[in-house]
Amino acid sequence: MVPSSLPRSRGRGLMRAPRTAALALAGALVLVPALSACQGAAVSDDTPAADGPVRIGVVVPLTGPVSQVGTALRNGLELAVKKVNAEGGVGGRPVEYVVVDDAGDPANSTQLARRLIRQEKVTMLFGTITGDTAEAVGKVADEAKVPFGTAILGDTEHCFPYQWGFGESTRQMLAPAVPALIAKYGTKVALVGSDYNYPRFYAGIAEQLVKDAGGTVVAREFSPLGQTDWQPVVKRLSAAKPDLVLSMVVGADAVTFSKQAQQFGLLTPRLGYEGAPLDADFYPALAPLVEGRTHTVRWSDGVQDAESRAFADSYRSAYDWKAPIPEVAGNAYFGVRFFLGAAAKAGSTDPKAVNEAIGAFRYDSPLGEGTRFHPSNHVLQADMRDVTIGAGGAYKVTKTHPMVADETPKKGCS
Amino acid sequence: MDVLLAILGQFGLYGLLTVGIAVIFAATRVVNLAQGDLAMCGAYAAATLTGAPFGTRTLIALVAGVPVLLLVERLLLRGAVLDGLAAMLVTWGLGMALRQGAELVFTGTARTVAVPVEGTVDVLGSPYPAYRLVCALTASAVVVLVLVLARRTGWGLTLRAVADNPDMAAVLGTDPRRLRTLAFVAGGLLAVLAGALYSPVLAVSPGMGFNLLVPVFFGLLLSRPGALGTAAGAALFVSALSVLLRTWLSDTLAEALFYAVVVAIAALRSRPWIGRFSAWFRRPSPAAAGAA
Repeated sequence: MVPSSLPRSRGRGLMRAPRTAALALAGALVLVPALSACQGAAVSDDTPAADGPVRIGVVVPLTGPVSQVGTALRNGLELAVKKVNAEGGVGGRPVEYVVVDDAGDPANSTQLARRLIRQEKVTMLFGTITGDTAEAVGKVADEAKVPFGTAILGDTEHCFPYQWGFGESTRQMLAPAVPALIAKYGTKVALVGSDYNYPRFYAGIAEQLVKDAGGTVVAREFSPLGQTDWQPVVKRLSAAKPDLVLSMVVGADAVTFSKQAQQFGLLTPRLGYEGAPLDADFYPALAPLVEGRTHTVRWSDGVQDAESRAFADSYRSAYDWKAPIPEVAGNAYFGVRFFLGAAAKAGSTDPKAVNEAIGAFRYDSPLGEGTRFHPSNHVLQADMRDVTIGAGGAYKVTKTHPMVADETPKKGCS
Repeated sequence: MDVLLAILGQFGLYGLLTVGIAVIFAATRVVNLAQGDLAMCGAYAAATLTGAPFGTRTLIALVAGVPVLLLVERLLLRGAVLDGLAAMLVTWGLGMALRQGAELVFTGTARTVAVPVEGTVDVLGSPYPAYRLVCALTASAVVVLVLVLARRTGWGLTLRAVADNPDMAAVLGTDPRRLRTLAFVAGGLLAVLAGALYSPVLAVSPGMGFNLLVPVFFGLLLSRPGALGTAAGAALFVSALSVLLRTWLSDTLAEALFYAVVVAIAALRSRPWIGRFSAWFRRPSPAAAGAA
């Protein structure tokens, strides 16, 4: 953004400048603010009307390879807004939302987030699935000082002052799971993932937690996205004779890897297996391979409190849904309600005020009693649950870990 | 032995796709960028028609593929205005339409196909999943069959003639338009077959075919137009290179090296002295001269 002092300081030289140059400069003075507004930065026009509805801008992939997860997030958000409006809105204001499809491409996410802020005058942004799109929107949100919430599991190394994640952080996923899995299956752990930033970040934290729990990492394998032949990887993993495999192989590759690991005799019921392939999204494809296993998540449709059940029932009837409900839908549902609760507390639609309120807000929901964001990492301090995957896709809660803390500081939060 | 089996498994898939794309390229001089997406269609046929046994599903996919491919060739690729590049763009568009169509109909979530032959077999001391062996051998047999047909039948001779000099072939009485249609359908069907056969070992998703395009394209790049044997050889080379690198190195490093090696070979091949050198070697062989 062009600082507001810049045109004025140039203006001082006008008296001595020739006429044409003066005209050009005058033109520039008109153009500079116009151009800076085009860049979607925070100018006064972007702020939402003070007495209008609370508007949420939703950036999700509704087409492309992760569209299914994006749609689940959108559905969860839609039901949350419906619920809040039925209960009288936010401090009497109705809640509206605008959904845009970024197709999982960060270039689209940036443009769309800017448009939502500038044209739709949203108070908050919500959505994105993949890490690169989250970062793209996070940057725009930071620039324009508009709070932005995500719901997908996993976190990144960096923190943005205006970005808040409702999905479980990597430490929250692994800290309760790893010691239990090592005790059940054995101490030799293999790590496998798709080859991009997040799985490597996940593996780094997993390695530390495995060591802390008295285990050893016997293999680490990463393979490029879109891998069709996992035989060499599976052979190397098998050669290390692991008792437990922690997998952050994502997308369709999670299915290919799991299937080929089973076909080559690595993935047997005796081997511990935890990670992305156990998520509810993959259940329809991997049912026989994941049934009977335990998965540690923040929310699943097997959570039995009244609010979660009401949400799961409305999700199933509204979207004619028969498979397990993706975790991201629940995180989005309770996450948006957290955001709107903070907006009510702020008593304003001003994004900056809402962001401050989010940082200080405490909220009771099925995700935990008094859930709140830790100021040093913007990770939601909330419950985690062990769910055991049963026949027909029943993700039944077998253990609750109350308030799993993740207070590891990150750079850039404030 | 593990490595040989892995190469064979990979060759079945790449071989069918590469020979298919080479058949189309020979007759039409068009790189069919929808080849992988046609395989995706075959895989979806295997994933959705679950009422029928696996073999029947594959047959249905092939039979249903014929009129669709005919229609595509007639409607999209036959225009007199289309040059090679425009036609290639048309196939790119066709691939995109197939991917988006699959996403609309089947959603983006990956599906799996139950393995029709369960269990493992012992191949000279190495346990190997039985179905992988069955599909690798079936695919390789089909590749060999296509090569034999291309070498021994009139159709193969015509294909080679058109690949070499379409104008001369037309003057000598072949109908290049008929041959182009036939080649597009045959090449496309090989892709459909590859997709259906390999669906039980892969995740079936709208984007699956797109991932297969790069190695297949490399196979085509390393082969000689009209000589399907070189396309099969190139597919075998690409499979072996990929498997060997990934056996010795980590996947990330192996992939980088794989691209480096293939690009280096393609660049070297275009050097005139290499061409003269290999032509000099080819000259004494009457079989090769016949093929050229």
